[in-house]
Amino acid sequence: MEGTTTPTAPTAETIVHSDANHPAEHSVLSKSNSANSTEKPVKISVILPTNAYFMSGIRDFTMTVVQNMTGFSEQWAFRFQSVVDELTNNAIEFGSAPGQDIKVTFVSQKGKYIEVFVEDTGTGPNKKTAKELATYVEEHKNADPTTITSIRGRGLAQIVAAWTDSLEFKENEKGGITVHVIKNLDEGEAL
Amino acid sequence: MAQVNISFQDIDQAGKMIKLIGFEGQLDETNVDSEAKKIYQVITEMAEPNILLDFAGLEYMNSKSIGYLTDWYSQVTAKNGKIVIARPRANILDILKVVGITQIIDTLENLDEAKAAFSGAAPSEATPAPAAETPVAAASQQAPVNQAPTTPPTA
Repeated sequence: MEGTTTPTAPTAETIVHSDANHPAEHSVLSKSNSANSTEKPVKISVILPTNAYFMSGIRDFTMTVVQNMTGFSEQWAFRFQSVVDELTNNAIEFGSAPGQDIKVTFVSQKGKYIEVFVEDTGTGPNKKTAKELATYVEEHKNADPTTITSIRGRGLAQIVAAWTDSLEFKENEKGGITVHVIKNLDEGEAL
Repeated sequence: MAQVNISFQDIDQAGKMIKLIGFEGQLDETNVDSEAKKIYQVITEMAEPNILLDFAGLEYMNSKSIGYLTDWYSQVTAKNGKIVIARPRANILDILKVVGITQIIDTLENLDEAKAAFSGAAPSEATPAPAAETPVAAASQQAPVNQAPTTPPTA
């Protein structure tokens, strides 16, 4: 993972559950044209049914968000498409049962950082604890990628871990997992 | 739901039969399992599979589709065949690099060079795509994409 600084964004609990203490919801369009868009963190949340059918839509949305409200380059917009796609797919496949939802929240201070939270309900078929997930990433993130022969197992530990500065897992109040990633905008990564 | 069109073409490269497989669209969780079967069928049907994957039209691939790619590589090399990737867009090349695919599969920006890679001669150095929206044809001043192919990965 890259970079060492941590943005001064609110904690996960504050961001996810205390909307009254957070900047109001904004549309991408209004924020991209706002004179204040570089000053305050912007938060956008999307709630998806537990169905991979909507994955291409969330990828398109991620591209729009990153390109319009973060200041990251196109390369990083594509990278965050993959990060969000992998996290969302894991939540759909393992975290939330069919018929339930997952929540994807983007928080960004333009020119500084982007955070993404992906919440599931813990009702999926292969529930894991936050500690188990963190251990999995820790054990696999430095693996020689050429030695991985399985079809699965590259998303979280190889792609998400490589393209974020911080990757953490927390149990949430719904009984599921909230995955939280942060990417700081470092030199050479801006538009 | 993601859409992808996969085309198949037999080409003769210096007397060697190559299956050129073109991808147009996106590979993700919604379609990769069914689409991957088409590639497995080609590998099964060819005695010595030589497969050229043309990614010029591939807009997105997720981690599972990369997993299938490594499995195709393993099956092809197990049958003394060869698999080469041609013309990945910048975002596709980026993700192939981060998971180490370019260390095990020849990845070339030029289709003719990719075809020539089956002739036995070492391919000239390849270059990454310049932008996500266009194939890699215009990129000629950048660093090599791939390293020399290695033996198949082991568990």
